[in-house]
Amino acid sequence: MRRPSLSTALLWPALLVMVPLLLGPLLLLAHESLKPFVGGRIGGDESGALTLQNYAQIADPQYVRYFLDTFRVGLLATAFALVLGFPVAHFIVRRAGPTMRRLMVGGLVGTLFLSIIVRVYAIAMTFGPHGPLSDFSRLFGISASSPDGAELMVVLGLLNSTLPLVALTLIGTLQNINPRLEDAALSLGAPRWKTFFQITVAMSLPGILSAAIIAYAFCISNLVVPMLVGRGFIVFVSNLIYFRFSEVANFPSGAALSMVMMVISVALFYGLLSLVRSHWQEAGK
Amino acid sequence: MSLSRRDFTRAALAGTGLAATGLSTLGLLTPAQAAERLLVVQWGANWIEVSKQILAEFQKTNDTQVAWELHSGGSAAVVAKIKATWPRTQYNVLSVWDPVFRAMIAEDWLLPIDESIVTNLKTIPDQYIQKNAKGEKMTVPLSTAGAFWGYRDDLLPGGFSSLEDLLKPEFKGKLCVPYPINLTGLLIVSAAIQRGGNERNPEPGWDFIKELASKGQIGEICTSNSEYINAMATGRYSVGFWNNGGWFATAKNFPVKLKNRMPDNKGFLYNEGFCVLKGSPAKAAFEFANFFAEPKMNEIYNMPLGSGPTQPSAKANPMIADWYYTPEELPKYAYFADFAYLSSVMNEWNARWEREIVPLVRRG
Repeated sequence: MRRPSLSTALLWPALLVMVPLLLGPLLLLAHESLKPFVGGRIGGDESGALTLQNYAQIADPQYVRYFLDTFRVGLLATAFALVLGFPVAHFIVRRAGPTMRRLMVGGLVGTLFLSIIVRVYAIAMTFGPHGPLSDFSRLFGISASSPDGAELMVVLGLLNSTLPLVALTLIGTLQNINPRLEDAALSLGAPRWKTFFQITVAMSLPGILSAAIIAYAFCISNLVVPMLVGRGFIVFVSNLIYFRFSEVANFPSGAALSMVMMVISVALFYGLLSLVRSHWQEAGK
Repeated sequence: MSLSRRDFTRAALAGTGLAATGLSTLGLLTPAQAAERLLVVQWGANWIEVSKQILAEFQKTNDTQVAWELHSGGSAAVVAKIKATWPRTQYNVLSVWDPVFRAMIAEDWLLPIDESIVTNLKTIPDQYIQKNAKGEKMTVPLSTAGAFWGYRDDLLPGGFSSLEDLLKPEFKGKLCVPYPINLTGLLIVSAAIQRGGNERNPEPGWDFIKELASKGQIGEICTSNSEYINAMATGRYSVGFWNNGGWFATAKNFPVKLKNRMPDNKGFLYNEGFCVLKGSPAKAAFEFANFFAEPKMNEIYNMPLGSGPTQPSAKANPMIADWYYTPEELPKYAYFADFAYLSSVMNEWNARWEREIVPLVRRG
């Protein structure tokens, strides 16, 4: 017989931690976003009437551009991480010997222990206008010192962190796919590429989606990478929020931006999830 | 022999008590020290290095314990941290500059300086000291600093004679400038002065910056000293507008010339120094600040920073001999911005930069 009381009881410690640490500050943030701001003061005006003015300012088309830039650059970095990470994970699971597998997994995990600041500066020194691989940007038809060059640096900086995350996530996914299914398809005459896409990739879709969500969440919430290599040209919403909280002390505007970003991000993820469920699961039936 | 849980706990507690008593008797475990503890916020790089050097001297005669925390980004960032916890802030002494002093004085966070302890304040010129509405002295200025246009002479021999020159094609992508919230909008004020405006009439400045941005002259927008120093060191940019600290660090490795005596523009002067937050151990904090303001220490403090000492008897670094102005030059070349006003419009200027300038530089 199931004992729901035990599982409920085990849930309480997590809830007790989560509510004050996550929900409480979120509610405070939402309240702060409704306060008026007086220039030169620090934080919201406690005595002023609550207002939606902070949200109205974000509706300016120029600010919509920052949201679009954040989501677009994040999407690019995520797409590259998936395209490059899947073959890495596939090689580790299906092709690599035990020693190579240990070395590669150790290498991927090891990069996660490296400070993001070190990684981003390494990218800037290597691929920047005076780096040994400065001509790399020319492969994409852009100059390293141009604004597009700054965007490329941001994508590379994000990719540096997301690639190991994606590869490690997909290793677990690929390990759970029985290789005999691929063998069966091949023995029945399916070409190798078709087997790869219709068996391996198709059965990995839930894992790919999980990896994409993790990578995308990392990208669009990133502050450090655009700040260090965006050269002030590539500015993410996180940077706008940071400037408001830490430099001009306009907490209400920073809070409003945070709330909008959170709502859009959550809506985006649920939208993606429902899209995947409705299309891919139907297709799999 | 069996040992119950209760017996084990008793034995463990007794053992711990005996050990503590023994250590105490031997002097290895002492009760809380009488010495005060201060948490001081300082800038990184040369600021923290020289501060630690002076602290070592201070602690030869004073048992106050000092922990340092470094500013992250602009020094205004610390006010957000204080606001979040005020009045239970952990900070005691802050090393900041005029605009941040003004913001904290407006919030009534600072202790008036006790001149019976900070005796060295007497010899610091009164105009350097920030005061509250009651006229009480609220700061201990340690440096006269400035923000100037300048260039790397090795990359741009001959330099430029006017800011208008920076619109020429050869300067495309060569300018390194601060985000407007850094240096509290002095970039915009400088551009405004160039076209006949000032901080209260900044429109000409915005127009000038828009011209620079739309022509692709701006190569990088920096948000901190270290970012600026790194950017200028790469050789990507030959011209910049930054504070004396950034220029001084650059000048140590590359030939730098400041354009602080242009006929149609100005150099900006302001003060950096210490202030003490309410709730701090006042005597220890003021003794600490007073030691740094002593003429000899003031000289040591400013020597590696590229800033001018505030004690008239302290000598300035010979490298910066022509960075600042003689009393006769002050009216012609120096500009003392209204930081109280600039602080009040900084939010608006920041938003305007995001709406009007970033899209232009983004297009290149």
